[in-house]
Amino acid sequence: MSAAATSVLLAMSAPPYWHCGRTIRQVSLYMLAGLMPAAVMAVCNWGLPAARVMALCVVTAVLVEALCQKVMGRELSVDDFTAVNAGLLLSFLLPAAAPWWLVMLGACIAVTLGKMAFGGLGTNPVNTPLVGWAVLFVSFPLLMDPNAMQLATDYADPLIRLRYFGVAAAEAIPFTDLLLGRQIGGLGAGQAGALFLGGSLLAAFGIIRWQIALGFFLGVAGPAALCHMLDPALNASPFFHLCTGSVLLGGFFLATEPANAPSRPLPMFIYGLLGGALTIAIRKYGVYVDGTPFAVLLVNLLTPLLDLIRPKPFGARSS
Amino acid sequence: MTVMREFTKGLWKELPPFRLVLGLCPTLAVTNSADNGLGMGLAVIFVLTLSNMLISMVRSIIPKKVRIACFIVIAASLVVAVELLMQAYAYPLYQQLGIFVPLIVVNCIILGRAEAFAAKNGVAASVADGLGMGLGFTLSLTFLGSLREIWGNGTWFGHAVMWEGFEPLRIMVQAPGAFICLGLILAGMNLINVWQARRKGRDPQPLTQGCGACQACHMNHEA
Repeated sequence: MSAAATSVLLAMSAPPYWHCGRTIRQVSLYMLAGLMPAAVMAVCNWGLPAARVMALCVVTAVLVEALCQKVMGRELSVDDFTAVNAGLLLSFLLPAAAPWWLVMLGACIAVTLGKMAFGGLGTNPVNTPLVGWAVLFVSFPLLMDPNAMQLATDYADPLIRLRYFGVAAAEAIPFTDLLLGRQIGGLGAGQAGALFLGGSLLAAFGIIRWQIALGFFLGVAGPAALCHMLDPALNASPFFHLCTGSVLLGGFFLATEPANAPSRPLPMFIYGLLGGALTIAIRKYGVYVDGTPFAVLLVNLLTPLLDLIRPKPFGARSS
Repeated sequence: MTVMREFTKGLWKELPPFRLVLGLCPTLAVTNSADNGLGMGLAVIFVLTLSNMLISMVRSIIPKKVRIACFIVIAASLVVAVELLMQAYAYPLYQQLGIFVPLIVVNCIILGRAEAFAAKNGVAASVADGLGMGLGFTLSLTFLGSLREIWGNGTWFGHAVMWEGFEPLRIMVQAPGAFICLGLILAGMNLINVWQARRKGRDPQPLTQGCGACQACHMNHEA
């Protein structure tokens, strides 16, 4: 036997750990498949500009990640499709009319500051695409505002209407329009029906954790329903809140990223609930019309704390 | 010779904000433009050099038990002097820096150098240490302020330096930009150190070295 065959190669990798034969690549591909309905609906609703933004974002994210890994002297791992995933998720939050440099800058920042600066996949403390989104959103509020960027459309921005024109104007938008993505918002984030379809399939197959998604939606719907019951003239219905902004994208795809979410069912559920409740709090009391991405970023930071909720080891002494 | 060494150590080896990571409050808060960074740095040079000198002069007559209070009193008198001078001769800068001028009193560098250096060394060495540290602090703040101003506003010391149609990255002049920039600069300095060590064929030094008199990293081992 040759020396190479007898030597044992021990490979350690960063989390997320999957020990059931699934690979990171496989999970990423499933995630991409789950995002596909929303991508198709985005192109249907916004036309080729949406496809342009998505393609540019994905390509930039992959190239930047490959470049970072080259510079860091690591093995290239862009074929695990996590960069594609991050790029696509970031593009879903951008307006379809975003200029090319904005898209490329966002993808660059997301991958470098949001992921590679911390050491690559699984080591990032907060969601990768949201880092890029937050930097862009704080830096270029006008260019990132879909309502200001999408002038040549007859869709309405439900959250702007809710904030500035009241509940009646917001709820005048037909429910089917919201579900079909005929609303102004991030190019993929607004495709409520398609995201729900893709996300619930992923949750049903166990690719994303249903505890997080369910917690998130309950966290949004609970406070919203309470407010709506107390004063229907001032507060929109929970269904309105669920279908607008990026709540569905956040609950199904952003909050559930395994590297940033707690790793046990109960903490996952609490994490989701907190994220959802924060969304409503930002929408109702904050300066931003859609709080979802900020809410997800904030609860990501709570993950280490929530991970302290753990069962007592078998046989441990009670102190 | 030793005076020269005390002076130069503050410029790179023990660079206050980026190597000792001391004095972060003004470093993060006032560096949204190169102007502010420079002004803050000059005020700190003044206070730091004079406080080092005074403390070194009176170090033998300060009782050990109340030394911190004495250091603070000396630093506070100097800061009040700076504040009055700024109000008289640089009022716009004073308005820009606001509360952070009086806060120089509690800047960790002032107390840190007083406790770690001036209280144990002669006047000449202490003045050199204060000047070096202050200069390092000023250069760091100006550098950080320049980076943030150029990217976040497209200007440098108030002059437009970026190309036509440049969209400033506004986050850089806001609070998060300070943290992002500081992190990137710290990473860059570590990278330079690793490169230097590798070129000389040595292992990179652990970054806990050169922390002055701070023994925090070794406390756990002793306890």
